[in-house]
Amino acid sequence: MKIKKMKKELPKIDCYNFPIVYKHLLNFIKIEVAKAGVNKVVLGLSGGIDSAVACYLAANALGKDGVAALIMPYEKSAASSLEDALKVVKALGINYYIIDITKQINEYFSNKNSGIGSDGIKVRKGNKMARERMSILYDYSYKLNSLVLGTSNKSELLLGYGTLYGDMASALNPIGDIYKTQIYQLAKLLRIPESIINKPPSADLWAGQSDEKELGFTYEAADTIMYLLIDKMYKPDVAVSIGCDKNLVYKIYEKIKKSQYKRRMPLIAKISERTINIDFRYLRDWV
Amino acid sequence: MKKNNVIKICLAQINPETGNLKKNIETHLKIISAAKNKKASIIVFPELSLTGYFLKDGVYDMGINIYTDESAVFRDIYKITEDMGVSVIAGFVEKDVDFNFYNSSFCISKGRLIDVHRKVYLPTYGMFEELRYFKPGKGFGIFDLEGVKFSVLTCEDAWHLSSSYIAVNKGAHIIIVNSASPARGITAGLNKFNSINMWEELLSVIAFYYRSYVIYVNRVGFEDGIGFSGGSSVFNPSGEIENKLDYLDEGMTVAEINLDLLNNERFKTPLIRDENLNLTLKEIEGILKS
Repeated sequence: MKIKKMKKELPKIDCYNFPIVYKHLLNFIKIEVAKAGVNKVVLGLSGGIDSAVACYLAANALGKDGVAALIMPYEKSAASSLEDALKVVKALGINYYIIDITKQINEYFSNKNSGIGSDGIKVRKGNKMARERMSILYDYSYKLNSLVLGTSNKSELLLGYGTLYGDMASALNPIGDIYKTQIYQLAKLLRIPESIINKPPSADLWAGQSDEKELGFTYEAADTIMYLLIDKMYKPDVAVSIGCDKNLVYKIYEKIKKSQYKRRMPLIAKISERTINIDFRYLRDWV
Repeated sequence: MKKNNVIKICLAQINPETGNLKKNIETHLKIISAAKNKKASIIVFPELSLTGYFLKDGVYDMGINIYTDESAVFRDIYKITEDMGVSVIAGFVEKDVDFNFYNSSFCISKGRLIDVHRKVYLPTYGMFEELRYFKPGKGFGIFDLEGVKFSVLTCEDAWHLSSSYIAVNKGAHIIIVNSASPARGITAGLNKFNSINMWEELLSVIAFYYRSYVIYVNRVGFEDGIGFSGGSSVFNPSGEIENKLDYLDEGMTVAEINLDLLNNERFKTPLIRDENLNLTLKEIEGILKS
């Protein structure tokens, strides 16, 4: 393959670079959590690979008492999701809470709630679940004096394959600069249970949902292209010229552009001479 | 003090707290004492070691005119260098009389300010925005510590090979490279970040071809998710790494700089002696005229 020859491949997380990547991510969690004046995180554990990786990193960074996992199934969540989430909490010995969200989701979407309608119901329900989980996470954040740990990977953040103010919401995210393909490599090196690594990626918002079916391409294909477009800053035509599929390159490029709003703070109408995040510029770590 | 043509330099790889001058001064004082206990006479801290790096609008709050009584904020550093008879190179935000701000490094030796290097090359691309806040320095000076000539290049300065060319041809024996370099980029089969690899290759080349010691002091810690890569090291005039700190942890090491080795290397391979400055000048004049 042409791309391979040109060494334009997404770099692998392998046994050589793993120790430094691992240490860096653990330091990130330790230092940034401490700066917020707390020593704990809380995260939503779905049974999928992303939240499992984030959970392993957090438990290794903060110790088992520094992490609490919320497992928040809906009636249609796969049974294996709960089992896999439990495998993670058992392996790490961390505190966890199982909170079923079926009742409030169904109540909101029931016929009693007039005017709710059924247009786009599948996606709306999925978004509602993601935001319900976020809402519970932030309640536990206050209750447990813990920061909410993000579990979105770089692939889904770039593709916009997440719910704004839902699963995309967090205080800090250790895996947001790591592509899904690399998440698998990292998961193996972290010795995450095989059943979690081997199942097909799914948001599990409805039965049989599959990321790759919904997106229409594999993460592996998308990640190679996104690495060229984003990390290497190649124009789409350049990515095509070195061997990437043209239709897929443009499809992905459009998805990234269209979802830019999800990765930014809300727009603020500038009126004053110094406006938040426009020309009032400080780090979040501002002392 | 120099004994047997050896000077001891401490590389202080710290994690400054962004915007907390008071706390950072305390950290500096502790490390200076510890370094003195290990017989070091020169202590080198990273770029902007007293203030933190990604200050953004905080640059305005941090600026100090070191030539006025504002420098009183550093009185404990002046005092400790005088009491202990040591020299300290540390980074701060400098403000001049015209209210320009600089990414500067001072050298305070035995209670006296003997050098201020204002960073010349201010990266303003990718994640960097230094030119938005700082005014560039005008050149690369040299100064004397214990009879040895030093020059300070701050981070990006060293990426311009003309900077080290100027420093050694002005007479520098030891090039101090203080930095706040973010860790970035991974490669399969490579056990360090790509950015660290770039630094090590660059500094080895500078040390070897400019026949000098290079003292690289980089910071660690995180600022808004950006982590600094540490890996502070001494490169000897053969281009080899002599002392090296961990990539991502705080630490300090005291390096023995052997001036006999420098003498030996400069005699065997006299690249600096043979440098044709007139030729370079003529070529540069030609480039500027064209």
